[in-house]
Amino acid sequence: MNPPDTRFAQRARELYRAAAHRVDPLTSAQLRAARIRALATPPAGEQWPGTRWLVSGGAFAAVAFAAVMLWQPLMQLTPHSTLAISGTVGNGDADPELPPDADQADPALYQNLDFYGWLAANDRPIGNR
Amino acid sequence: MESDDVPSTDPDANAVNAAADTLAAPLFGAAPARVAPATLDTFLTQVERRAFRLAELQLRHREDAMDAVQDAMLRLVKHYRDKPAAEWPPLFWGILRRRIVDLQRRRKVRSIVVGWLGGGQDRDGEDLPTWEPVDQGQGPLDRLHDAQSWADLTTALRQLPRRQREAFMLRMLEGLDVAETARVMACSEGSVKTHLSRAMRHLRAQLEDWR
Repeated sequence: MNPPDTRFAQRARELYRAAAHRVDPLTSAQLRAARIRALATPPAGEQWPGTRWLVSGGAFAAVAFAAVMLWQPLMQLTPHSTLAISGTVGNGDADPELPPDADQADPALYQNLDFYGWLAANDRPIGNR
Repeated sequence: MESDDVPSTDPDANAVNAAADTLAAPLFGAAPARVAPATLDTFLTQVERRAFRLAELQLRHREDAMDAVQDAMLRLVKHYRDKPAAEWPPLFWGILRRRIVDLQRRRKVRSIVVGWLGGGQDRDGEDLPTWEPVDQGQGPLDRLHDAQSWADLTTALRQLPRRQREAFMLRMLEGLDVAETARVMACSEGSVKTHLSRAMRHLRAQLEDWR
């Protein structure tokens, strides 16, 4: 760079710094406030102390919820309730304690009616017979 | 359209950059910007007004410039406060540069959408910097002359392609070295030299009366 170019660059830099000093008071105040806010910001790696407990608690709650959701269908599929469920397919509001409606019952139920009758008759504690 | 990564084939480029390095010594000896600041607060205090001027020069909008500087400060403090102080300048200017580019792209998209909707009256970018000089010991005529000269330089810089403008501002105005400028601009050092050389050529022609 020849001397005129050096003077050119030097002049540009002087003007730049002078322009920075001439920033109006309102802008200066806003810049100062922005700097103070920025410096008060916690570092990216630093978290609120309760965050770890919050994450652990959330994970535990999710696992517990999933366990409950899985446990309920398993409880409904116990042998005692299998008969009532199979007899009330498509009739969600039927009372499971009542005998199934003849129109909606499984036809296989009628084929083994004698067996179920015998089973009901003998399904008592031995001491009560 | 100018390529982002231009190899330095211009013989004038190395001369311009070598001279820029020699220029930096006496200038930055007087300026506190290149002395490693003791604290992040000191560093931000030193650069905040200059950052605002550069952002305003490129965005042509005061509020957008303020947003860009504020965001750059926040990101620097949040992510790089533990870095050595010598690394803060290129990191800060790099963050600010990316933020400015983001805002320019967003504004471009917005103006396209406004055009589609039949408005086409987006006047952002038409405002010139406001000048409210404070007393620096200069006479009113000197201050007026400086303000006018800066306005001329601003106008000439705005006519440059973005990469040339960035190279000039970071190397010549802010005084980063070639390696730091390349890091901020995410390009090679050769590209920085080429962009700067072209910017100088254009500005010399535009501001002939400065010589």
